[in-house]
Amino acid sequence: MSDSTGLLFTFFNLEVAQRYWREVAAGVAVTLGVGLATVLTGVLAGLALAVLRATGRTALRGPVVVFSDVMRSLPPLVVIIVLYFGLPSLGLPLSSFAATWLSLSMVLAAYAQESIWAGISALPAGQMEAARSTGFGWWGAMRFVILPQALRRAVPTLTNRVISTTKNTALGSVVALSEILSNSQAASAMAANPTPLTLGAIAYIVVFLPIVIFARWLETRVGHR
Amino acid sequence: MKAPILEVVGLRKSYGAHEVLRGVDLRVRPSELVCVIGPSGSGKSSMLRCCNRLEEPTGGQVVLDGLDITRPGTDLNRIRQGVGMVFQHFNLYPHLSALENVALALRHVQKHPAAEAARRAHEALAQVGLADKAGAHPAQLSGGQQQRVGIARAIALKPRVMLFDEPTSALDPELVEDVLGTMRALRESGMAMLVVTHEMAFAHAAADRVVFMDGGVVAEEGSAADIFERPQQARTRAFIGRYTGRA
Repeated sequence: MSDSTGLLFTFFNLEVAQRYWREVAAGVAVTLGVGLATVLTGVLAGLALAVLRATGRTALRGPVVVFSDVMRSLPPLVVIIVLYFGLPSLGLPLSSFAATWLSLSMVLAAYAQESIWAGISALPAGQMEAARSTGFGWWGAMRFVILPQALRRAVPTLTNRVISTTKNTALGSVVALSEILSNSQAASAMAANPTPLTLGAIAYIVVFLPIVIFARWLETRVGHR
Repeated sequence: MKAPILEVVGLRKSYGAHEVLRGVDLRVRPSELVCVIGPSGSGKSSMLRCCNRLEEPTGGQVVLDGLDITRPGTDLNRIRQGVGMVFQHFNLYPHLSALENVALALRHVQKHPAAEAARRAHEALAQVGLADKAGAHPAQLSGGQQQRVGIARAIALKPRVMLFDEPTSALDPELVEDVLGTMRALRESGMAMLVVTHEMAFAHAAADRVVFMDGGVVAEEGSAADIFERPQQARTRAFIGRYTGRA
């Protein structure tokens, strides 16, 4: 057996691939599920936190800043493990899906809050004043004048963070979430061959490359306005 | 004499220990154009910004149509629709077209249906001579045009009085006349206006009354002719002189 056929046999073994691709595909569904759920709750929670912070009230701003700084200092893996293995002892058992989703949502919320807050605070004070002078309340001015501009400014950092957080769904493998990495790892152990891991890597590219391209498109689009 | 639309009584404002307004009194009657002039730091802008409570006065009253709007419990969001404000730096919303800038409060504050809000916004843009720029974004407009959109945004709400905070100070000299012309036309339409300005020729020619502020108080007020041609106070004479080269 030559070296090149050895490489093919090891990483691109068709027989193994045919036997195990379904497991990897099932992992794709879970990765997409937990990823989408995380993006949705993480970005919305981040938006809500940024708005709370923008009220300027110390009682609201303080906790947001503390939460955000703590979540940004912790490795996401630590958050997942603490929630998954720690909460049951408080009588709050979480499924591996819920633990991964909740942990990554909190991490994403912290970063999204920072991006959106940066967008809000970069706007000239005159924007809020102009809106208030026409009779908008604080919230109306926020909704119709401040946030549309702040979100546009936040897009580049936000998309990067969304992508890196959704890729962190792979950390769910540590708490037995049957997503792409976990399933392909299990399959390659069963098959005693790394080909399922190759499939897993391909699956990640298939899932995330379009998202990366979409993010790039979104960044150029808002950049031109 | 008609009752004033806007009356400022004993207005005070401090930032910490720094007192910028030390009891300002002035009034604007219906259809009257009042110009406020004075050196920078005299409190002109602070006074103007207290008139719709963008700035909180520390003392005194602002009476709008007989209603003291400095009283606690005043519905500011309702009051401000009756007090149009034009800013030195325009403060247009850059993410919206000229029409959307003007229509935003019509739609979401006054709750007009979208079509009605657009109709009124078009009308206001036409009034400032920008009917053909409705679809342009602020970045595509000249400074003078942007400020006229700012005026349209304020008059679209049908205010009882308009406040102008140095409306031409941020403009290139050749664009100033553009905005002053629009303000003259607005004055012709009978709008009551309180204008903080450094445009002495405009104040001299267009104002019904001129208020000279210095050191946080009204130092002198009178007709444009009184202030510019027969100033009584030494500091008024000195200030006018610096502008007209007759110091």
